[in-house]
Amino acid sequence: MSFEHVQSRWLFAAVSLGLAVAMLMLGPGIALLATEVAIMALFASSLGFLINYGGMVSFGHAAYFGLGAYGFALAAAKLGLPLWLAVVLGPLTAALGAVLFGALCVRLTHIYFAMLTLACSEIVFTVLFQAYDYTGGDNGLTNFMAPRFGLSPQIYAALTVAIVALCIAFLARIVRSPLGLAIQAVGEEPHRAAALGFSPRLVQLVACVIAGTLAGIAGTMYSVFQGNAFPDYAGVGITIDALVMVVIGGVKGFYGGVFGAIIYVLLKTFVSRAFTHWELVIGLILIAVVLIFPTGIAGLLQKLGLSRTARPSGEQHP
Amino acid sequence: MAAQLLNGLTEGMMLFLIASGLTLIFGITRIVNFAHGSLYMLGAFLAYHLMPMLGGSTVASFASAVLLSAILVGLLGLVFEVLILRRIYGADDLLQLIITLALVLILRDVVKAIWGANDISVPMPASLSGALQIGGTFLPLFQIVAFAVGLVVITLMVSIMRFTRAGVLLRAATDDRGMVALLGINQAWIFSSVFAVGCFLAGLAGALAAPFGNVNYLLDTNIIVMAFVVVVIGGLGSLSGALIAALSVGMVKGLGVIYFPRLSTVLIFLIMAAVLVIRSLGRGAISK
Repeated sequence: MSFEHVQSRWLFAAVSLGLAVAMLMLGPGIALLATEVAIMALFASSLGFLINYGGMVSFGHAAYFGLGAYGFALAAAKLGLPLWLAVVLGPLTAALGAVLFGALCVRLTHIYFAMLTLACSEIVFTVLFQAYDYTGGDNGLTNFMAPRFGLSPQIYAALTVAIVALCIAFLARIVRSPLGLAIQAVGEEPHRAAALGFSPRLVQLVACVIAGTLAGIAGTMYSVFQGNAFPDYAGVGITIDALVMVVIGGVKGFYGGVFGAIIYVLLKTFVSRAFTHWELVIGLILIAVVLIFPTGIAGLLQKLGLSRTARPSGEQHP
Repeated sequence: MAAQLLNGLTEGMMLFLIASGLTLIFGITRIVNFAHGSLYMLGAFLAYHLMPMLGGSTVASFASAVLLSAILVGLLGLVFEVLILRRIYGADDLLQLIITLALVLILRDVVKAIWGANDISVPMPASLSGALQIGGTFLPLFQIVAFAVGLVVITLMVSIMRFTRAGVLLRAATDDRGMVALLGINQAWIFSSVFAVGCFLAGLAGALAAPFGNVNYLLDTNIIVMAFVVVVIGGLGSLSGALIAALSVGMVKGLGVIYFPRLSTVLIFLIMAAVLVIRSLGRGAISK
């Protein structure tokens, strides 16, 4: 464990703590926006982990976001469980979903993997949409709790930033662990990894469950944040949002999801305020990103020497 | 019952039209065109826009609006391929996906800017809005016509693929692109034309199916997901597979509405998942 590594860990903790404290001093509107950015940063990071390290492009990541949201909302609204228990049940539901779907999906690779993940998330979406006796269908689950447990926007923002920072630190820890190296090895060269004694499918399943659980945490936090749950939380739209964030942020950097979420949510908020065509702007940015700097913002920063935390590739491993 | 059957068949036929373009493009260029649903949606909006300009709701104006919309969508596809897509063949899967996703976002915004965010409806040609009485049941005439148009397109496609030089090249390129290039065939030309034809088919399906339901900017993702399902069940790159899959999915949807209304959509995705998993059983431990 190099000095640089320890230093970046302290830096990360300091920045996170600073951000969380800063949340308390913001105006309520900005705090709400920051909360959304933080939640999406976690969601995009979990998908980025799957894509960048596991080599698995998922079209169905929203399934876990939706399961996290509905696991919490159903437990709170329909089962009447105490909120602290419901908050735990959300990510747990997503984790269970990830075990089930992951076990199926890791049997496939490339576009077939993507298609099966899409089918899984559409199953979740359709079930949430159709089982209206339990889920309220299109109308969603609403009015079962005060948004943010009734906390002020600033306090909830600080809480969210802290939780997201912990989750991302956990993800960074995973990436640097032997497990993380195994996930990367399987992502890059499944045959060679198998020859080294890894079970590619098992390693991929573990990666799926980690990513799914983190996405579930994001979903639960979003449901608490809004005080509701809608089937759209498991829809293709959310998956596309996350994919766009990962690509804008950068497909080679660990913090790609974070950068991408910041840019995407801010663009969505401010461009749509100034003029209505924010999707057009995002689309043009995407084309520019892919054609001009395919490694995204994180890669650009790395190229400029501003970030040392980009993904350790084979040659420059820490 | 017969009406539901026809419903399912027509929906299946429309699904085939869009899925055939998707599978054709994938077979040749290995690009998974996420924007295919958006092109379908664009076709529907163009038909809505062009019909009044071409003389209202007569059969002739509807037919020419449909054809013109499809051609315009095909041209858009051609421009997109030549200007952008061409640069990233052979790049990472994810980048190719993202480029087509960018087109999804752009088209959605453009459609919203031009035609607004509300539902619009495309009128059926007046003389086709009646019903045909066969035995004791009334079958909507327009559905029969739409189905027949689909059959014509299939016949055309099959004859082109079977009997023309272009068809031979396409089949060869689906099997082995490198070998076709070695034969001195201009690959860029094949890729561009296939992409344009695929987009043409998406536009055609969108315009033709527009009178069946409300048209809005959310159509893109709904349609692309169903098209993916069809293409995957039929086997990526396979036209005949796509036809069987599309008609089956259409039937499940059409009949499902009567027998198991809540389960029909889930059932379709379960079939897709089952097909994918069963196929994977036949392969080795890890297939790349």
